[in-house]
Amino acid sequence: MTVSARSWLERIRALNLPERIRILNVCGGHERAITQAGLRTALPNQVELIPGPGCPVCVCPEEDVYEAMRLALDEDVLLVAFGDMLRVPVNVAKGEPRCLEQARAAGGDIRPIASPLEAVAIAQRHPRRQVVFFAAGFETTSAPVAAMMAAGVPGNLSILLSGRRTWPAVAMLLDSGEARFDALIAPGHVATVMGPEEWSFVVDRHAMPAAIAGFNPESLLAATYSVLRQSMEGRPFLDNCYPELVRPGGNPTARRQLDRVFRVIDANWRGIGEITASGYGLSPDRAASDARLRFPAPPVSRRRAGEMPPGCDCAGVVLGRIYPNECALYGRACTPRKPIGPCMVSDEGACRIWWAAGLREPHEHCARKQA
Amino acid sequence: MCLGIPMQVREVDGFMARCEAKGVERQVSLFLLQEETVLPDDYVMVHVGYAIQKMTETDARSAWELYDQMLAASPPEPEGA
Ligand code: SF4
Repeated sequence: MTVSARSWLERIRALNLPERIRILNVCGGHERAITQAGLRTALPNQVELIPGPGCPVCVCPEEDVYEAMRLALDEDVLLVAFGDMLRVPVNVAKGEPRCLEQARAAGGDIRPIASPLEAVAIAQRHPRRQVVFFAAGFETTSAPVAAMMAAGVPGNLSILLSGRRTWPAVAMLLDSGEARFDALIAPGHVATVMGPEEWSFVVDRHAMPAAIAGFNPESLLAATYSVLRQSMEGRPFLDNCYPELVRPGGNPTARRQLDRVFRVIDANWRGIGEITASGYGLSPDRAASDARLRFPAPPVSRRRAGEMPPGCDCAGVVLGRIYPNECALYGRACTPRKPIGPCMVSDEGACRIWWAAGLREPHEHCARKQA
Repeated sequence: MCLGIPMQVREVDGFMARCEAKGVERQVSLFLLQEETVLPDDYVMVHVGYAIQKMTETDARSAWELYDQMLAASPPEPEGA
């Protein structure tokens, strides 16, 4: 831990803290930094850091993953997707491929990519193939996907879009009246792209302390200190603890591309349901590039379509209702080698982050003091 | 997927730039920074192959240090069950 991180910790320890204060983060990058730096152990007992909806892979609709598999297996499509998506499980009958990786083993032409630029390059290299880019992600990924489309894509490339917006999920939690947190650490790179203003509603509508954080322990501890002070003084405001990258208005080009190429839609979050204005769909003038229209799915009824795998409480983890190790399957049936749910698959899933950091005990009451 | 990586610009060619981080070079799109002037030696935060914001050298270096620590803390063991 750096000197500056230590001094933030000291300032936090010197506060006359309330009995309990729960701070939600909504970014897998934050959760990873918190867990790897051992911030939960370092912070006073009263301060609880809760991982929330920070993993776009975890909430990607099961139906969309199933559709991607169908395209690769039944439509002779070359399917490209971010590597994280390949092991996300769907609910199928025994013996059928249950993730993209298994669909590839069953003969589907499925390739992991790390950038939309690779999707374009692959489509250019295979002009006679139909290439579908299965694009799941939050604003930080959706903006590059929009840029890719705005710059022009080859006619044989279409998009299976599962873009999601972060703040509407937090708004839904707060509006539900069942939010189990007292303050928010807002995501630094989402705010870099979209601007800090998107998060003002947390303060304006819910009088809840909020701070935008970057990805090092210093910035996360500065944000923690800020929301603690705000809470104790009863003076919530939106603090920006990542001014290096987060500027008023965000990245104007990125926002313009998102507006132009996509439209905001009510969208489904796996295991959670539809959240108002929480997704991106292709704008009507981009319909020609929409894989859903180019390859219409035949109506099928599947058991447990849309649901989490049996026994998996990823939805509870994503909503900040339980800690990963409070899931009965954590570390028992479910490990990164044999993941049951998406939160153990994705690098941004809280279950995987906790497991990778060496947290091995399944259920323990004082969960937070172990990570 | 969401992890941004700071990179230093080596060469700019239209909307594309050859960028480098810790000895590794990549082609990076500057499409989302159209309203900024991006020149060789500048530092940018790169996300899935797209620069999303310019940054200072100091901030880039401190982020690289952090990644080194993170990698040291958890050696690549993707299937580490
Ligand atoms: S431990 Fe596995 S089964 Fe349980 S919530 Fe996490 S991903 Fe789902």
